[in-house]
Amino acid sequence: MSAQAPHWFESITTHGPRLWQRFWSRSNERVGYLFILPSLIHMAVFLLIPLVFSLVLSFTNWQGVTFQGLEWVGLDNYDFLMGDRRFWNAMGNSAKYTLMAVPLGMLVSLAIAVVLNQKLKGVYLFRTLFFMPVISSWVAVAVIWVTLLDPTSGIVNYLLDLIGLPPVNFLGDPNTALPALVMIAVWKGAGFQMVIWLAGLQAIPEALYDAAAIDGASWWQSFRNVTLPLLAPTTFFLAVTGVIGSFQVFTSVYVMTKGGPLGSTDVVVHRIYQRAFQNFDMGYASAQSWVLFGIIFAATLLQLWVNRRRGQEILF
Amino acid sequence: MRKMLMTLTLVIVLLTPLMVGAQDEEVTLRVIGFQVVPEEMDTPLAQARLKVLEDFQAEHPNVTIEALETPPEFDTQLLVDLAAGTAPDVWYQDASTLARLVDTGNVLDMNTCLDLVPELTLDRFTPSFLDIHRRETGEIWGLPDGGTPMVIYYNPKSFDRAGVPYPQDGWTWDDLLETAQLLTLDAEGRNRLDPDFDAENVEQWGFRARKYTFEWIYRTWENGSDVIAPDGSTVSGYLDSPETIEAIKWMRDLALEYGVAPGPTLYDQMTQELGFLTLFLQGKVAMFDRGHWEMVGLAAHEDYEPGRVAVIGQPQNTNRATVIYESGWMINAALKDDPAKLLAACQFVNTLTDVGFQSTKVTTGLEISANAEAAAAAVEESEWPEVEKVFVDEAQYGRLPYGALYANWPTVESALDSMMEEILAGEEIEFAVQNAVDEINRELERAAGD
Repeated sequence: MSAQAPHWFESITTHGPRLWQRFWSRSNERVGYLFILPSLIHMAVFLLIPLVFSLVLSFTNWQGVTFQGLEWVGLDNYDFLMGDRRFWNAMGNSAKYTLMAVPLGMLVSLAIAVVLNQKLKGVYLFRTLFFMPVISSWVAVAVIWVTLLDPTSGIVNYLLDLIGLPPVNFLGDPNTALPALVMIAVWKGAGFQMVIWLAGLQAIPEALYDAAAIDGASWWQSFRNVTLPLLAPTTFFLAVTGVIGSFQVFTSVYVMTKGGPLGSTDVVVHRIYQRAFQNFDMGYASAQSWVLFGIIFAATLLQLWVNRRRGQEILF
Repeated sequence: MRKMLMTLTLVIVLLTPLMVGAQDEEVTLRVIGFQVVPEEMDTPLAQARLKVLEDFQAEHPNVTIEALETPPEFDTQLLVDLAAGTAPDVWYQDASTLARLVDTGNVLDMNTCLDLVPELTLDRFTPSFLDIHRRETGEIWGLPDGGTPMVIYYNPKSFDRAGVPYPQDGWTWDDLLETAQLLTLDAEGRNRLDPDFDAENVEQWGFRARKYTFEWIYRTWENGSDVIAPDGSTVSGYLDSPETIEAIKWMRDLALEYGVAPGPTLYDQMTQELGFLTLFLQGKVAMFDRGHWEMVGLAAHEDYEPGRVAVIGQPQNTNRATVIYESGWMINAALKDDPAKLLAACQFVNTLTDVGFQSTKVTTGLEISANAEAAAAAVEESEWPEVEKVFVDEAQYGRLPYGALYANWPTVESALDSMMEEILAGEEIEFAVQNAVDEINRELERAAGD
């Protein structure tokens, strides 16, 4: 087989033939690229093209039927969005949700991971049990939690009653609905984060703990000065993916509260869904999506910047 | 004159072979909303549908009806199919989302069918049902099939318990309020008008007041006002008019001032525990607004007894009004380019809206027929003749749902729902209304491209 790049390709490129030459010259790379070709095509068709399409749509008034009557409206959708108080209320709710769910979820899952990192009897069973909510359907989880949180007959209120506290209408009170959703999300997602934490914990050399023990460090000192610093890449990974995921929370809201009561759980993806698939206002929904993307992107950059300021550039 | 006659003759000569060809050509119509699913094969409705199909195909042997399953998220799926050119030829459409399809030119003006099929006449329809599809400019976007006016359900046992006479047709807002006060009972059986009434221990509520616009929009009509301008361009001067605010206040006061309806938080708690139909049938809530479809759920409920369900028309204030939620038959506008299919589709819609098939409506219990003759006959044949009569009579006061008229109504409705939710939670009415006016006007201006 020829090791030369084809003539036609060299003639249309000025700076780039090296890559192609390399690709063309190594048959194993060619095979590799051929192997990932289906995924690349899949990604292009179902991810990249829709992504670009939605960006274009965000500058139009497309209502989602045919392209007849579609008008280029420039930045009008973005301009309108600036004064859309319900969108910003939803964005605020998403931010509140993120601020509660990410740290709480990481703390809870870390605590579980630390316990389940011990050489205990039945530890694999417990790991499986904690992971089970992750693979459960959100609809099934919602039904269970709505029952558990029922203001009159739910077990949570029964427990509150046992310790002398008044009943709480968790999902029906604007003050408690969002925290309740956070609590459920933490319960459902803790198993996944636990697995990541466990991987991080098991990568810490045992010798460091031995050294700390010889220096007379207590469990807490060892955890504070050995475990946590060496978990920094894991912490960073979970924080970044947690923020991205939390800003995109949708299913629990859609299934359990529909954004209520009084808009207290109306998160931004739920609002985008309503615009796109209930009002068929695709152009405006696309603009909302891109603003959400911008905010998540900015939040991620901020996290990267903070991480670099702390001298940690391990992951990215 | 002679020139005109010659032109007319020429047109007829040219068109006749086309029409003859259209009648003879083999066509397959793809129809959504008429499928007979295997598990319902034994039901009267399924049998009626099969009979209609059989009769239609015997009469029109060149036409094959391909009855397709209604997909989940039908409105979204239909938009996708319309965009892809794979939409059905005829489909059953909720009028509450009709305007968007009209605005995008996807629905055939049924005047075309009236010209093609002389047997298809408009006098078969109850006028208020037809008005949902007919515009002042003459177009008829689809033809009505069936629907329901919103009426008030009440539990006669709750009335008996409180010693209150049943409501009578033609009652007023004041009558409803007083009835609800007398029906709201505490644990000792005292009603709301009793000075010793214990508001902390209500055993039976008189009414249900909720945020949903579809359950209260007609209160503004009953008070001689509206929430939106007739051309759909603004809500200023309508939603914030004194009459509309008075209607909103009356609704709010049922829960917050007179305490005859549970507030939203309490209602949420009550329904989480038992489900609303159980609350109603067990006498915890005596009256509520709803359409005909609720009869099906009530009749199938384990607590159901015939003496526990009755209905009455809406109360009036300055006007008598209600809304009709309806579905009808649409023909895909793309059929204009296919004369044979177009003719077959018009003939099929004629059959679907004819008294023969429409008489089977009574078997579903979901709605009343838009065909006036079938609706009248159903009063005699229904399992619940008194209930059926109230619905049929109330239809004459019915107005169209605004989703049939304004393409961006879902956005307006969502803002109105939020406004009423805030008001029922205790927000000052004028403040909440003004916020809603600003928000909705912004949306309407954007939709108009201002």
